[in-house]
Amino acid sequence: MSLDFSVLLRFQEALALGLWTTVKLTLICIVLGCSLGFLVGLARTAPNAIVRGIASVYVEFFRGTPVLIQLFWIFFCLPLILGIELSNLASGVIALTLYMGAITSETFRASLKSVGREQMDACIALGLPRRVQVMNVILPLAVLRAVPTLLSNCVSLFKESALVSAVGMADLMFVGQNISNNTARPVEVLTVVALIYFAIAFPLTRAVTLVEGRILKKLAI
Amino acid sequence: MNYTFDFNAVSLGPLIEGLVVTVQLTIAANLIGVILGFPLALLLMSRLAVIRWPATLFVEFFRCTPAIVQIVWFFYCVPMLFNVFLGSVTMGILALGLNLMAFNAEAYRAAIQAVPREQIDAGIALGLNPLQRVFHIVLPSALRASVPVLLTNGIVIFQQSALVAIVAVQDLMYQAKTLATETYRPIETFTIAALIYFAVSFPVSQVVGWLERRRQILTS
Amino acid sequence: MTSASAPLVAIRALHKSYGPHIQVLKGLDIEMKPGERVVVIGPSGGGKSTLLRVMMGLEKIDSGAVTFGGKPYISSAGPDAKTVIDTEVRRSIGMVFQHYTLFPHLSVIQNLVLAPCKVRGEKKASAMRRAQALLERFGLGAKANAFPAQLSGGQKQRVAIARALMLDPKLMLFDEVTSALDPELVAEVEQVILQLANQNMPMMIVTHDMWFARNIASRVIFCAGGVVVEDGPPEQVLGAPREERTREFIDRVFHIKQ
Repeated sequence: MSLDFSVLLRFQEALALGLWTTVKLTLICIVLGCSLGFLVGLARTAPNAIVRGIASVYVEFFRGTPVLIQLFWIFFCLPLILGIELSNLASGVIALTLYMGAITSETFRASLKSVGREQMDACIALGLPRRVQVMNVILPLAVLRAVPTLLSNCVSLFKESALVSAVGMADLMFVGQNISNNTARPVEVLTVVALIYFAIAFPLTRAVTLVEGRILKKLAI
Repeated sequence: MNYTFDFNAVSLGPLIEGLVVTVQLTIAANLIGVILGFPLALLLMSRLAVIRWPATLFVEFFRCTPAIVQIVWFFYCVPMLFNVFLGSVTMGILALGLNLMAFNAEAYRAAIQAVPREQIDAGIALGLNPLQRVFHIVLPSALRASVPVLLTNGIVIFQQSALVAIVAVQDLMYQAKTLATETYRPIETFTIAALIYFAVSFPVSQVVGWLERRRQILTS
Repeated sequence: MTSASAPLVAIRALHKSYGPHIQVLKGLDIEMKPGERVVVIGPSGGGKSTLLRVMMGLEKIDSGAVTFGGKPYISSAGPDAKTVIDTEVRRSIGMVFQHYTLFPHLSVIQNLVLAPCKVRGEKKASAMRRAQALLERFGLGAKANAFPAQLSGGQKQRVAIARALMLDPKLMLFDEVTSALDPELVAEVEQVILQLANQNMPMMIVTHDMWFARNIASRVIFCAGGVVVEDGPPEQVLGAPREERTREFIDRVFHIKQ
């Protein structure tokens, strides 16, 4: 078969629009998801067993089921339960935020745990009050340690966002599939769509390695 | 909310059938991924750039594009490009297997490179030849270290396998979708399907957690 | 308690265990006068480091009491009772650890000024001035803006000492501060501690370095099996120990050393 990538030129704008939706969705959910993840990460280390329990169930459930089914659940079931209409964007944001919250909470939890006993001893020996221990030592250290993993969480989110195409949201993947169906040129169109995702995700994963090296070097004592 | 739950409306039969397909997909993909991921890892670490580069490109492609794009691409493009027509479950297995192979190769590579330099030095000091060093020092330690990651990747593929529902493979997700539309009972259906996925994933992730904790204790 | 010979530290019947079976301190009684430099030596697991950690208020105790400057500092009525630690008193004690424990995300000078600013509400500018002066004194003036990861072990340990001194402690605790250092870096850290000794800073030191112990101690305590076995001037405990267990320990250590 002969390949003809020029068909794609006609759909530049549509693809750009789809990509913009993907990026927008990803950015919104990074902000909301990281905030949620941070709170949940704290909740999982809370002294109160009920708070800890709720947080754990949330995280384990979202990590233990396919994102696709979470998405379907939010799209089809949440409106029924709440009795209100949810726009595609709203549903997508809710679903992916909950997903991102679950994975980043694990990142934050691990980094909070990594602030070791020795650092705490030093805090006590210096007589630092609890508030200062948390604000000036534990949190900055935990967040710094979390940065590389958070970045790869963002890449995961960017990739998972393609799932919203399955529920009819016009993201890059959705637009690509539409064009592919209309032109009957799936090889060219889907390959280009894949390359666009790759062109964004690949440099980000390299950045993760770079940042990780820097931070490890800085935090090594 | 004025929705009345009726979990009896959901017949478990089709869901179980779907689960069987999902499990088949998972096991077959894991066989491909666990076995072929290892030689791929060796290619990734080759000293020859002509070998290393294509292998790296293969792995990075799978790691840096959405799984759903890979699967849709595979189902539409492989028959057109190569003129091969396979059953949809076989296609699903291949698509998921290749994806897992890439992720597992990375896990093997990381584990091999994490074997401490001193261990290898000790092997040299004890007079082991290079092959002996690989078989008696590097591999045992690396394979053991990679087990938790391989298990995690395996369970991720179990979850990712839900994506083949989009290209009409009749797995658990597909059956849930169909059932939800037929019965107008999306909440009950999707909740039950999600619980089934969870019931399989959760124990495995607990085992992984236990393995990792044990490893930390043993190595500290 | 205002007379000159009143103890700075008085430890009474101190018991401490980790879990139900591991008793580390079995009724320790130690008195320390102002200006004394007590070096605690003894075999591993004998309770030396635990003693220092208790003194810093880092550990719960089973029973016993510690007073500091005549004031009650730490006490516990029994294994199940709560360990009461007076945090006001604790602030007048400084400690340096084996593994530096500098805050890796803060620069050297930020490490020094964090506690004075946050604990005592000292103005940043004044704390910075004092910190810089202290760093100069320890030969680290040029390293004020470096991060811990950019320093050698000896430099890190000197920064850790400076950090503790920023709070004007009335007693310094040194827990094996040279054990993690390369041999060529040990001297620079010991020099700094000797400098403090010359200014009559009371200190309690745990070390494996017998030469350093002999140089700095005004008094040596040999601790083994959770009790004080021998207690006296360095010439006696290190040179002519009276107790059989002390002699065995000293013999072994010096044989390995030579």
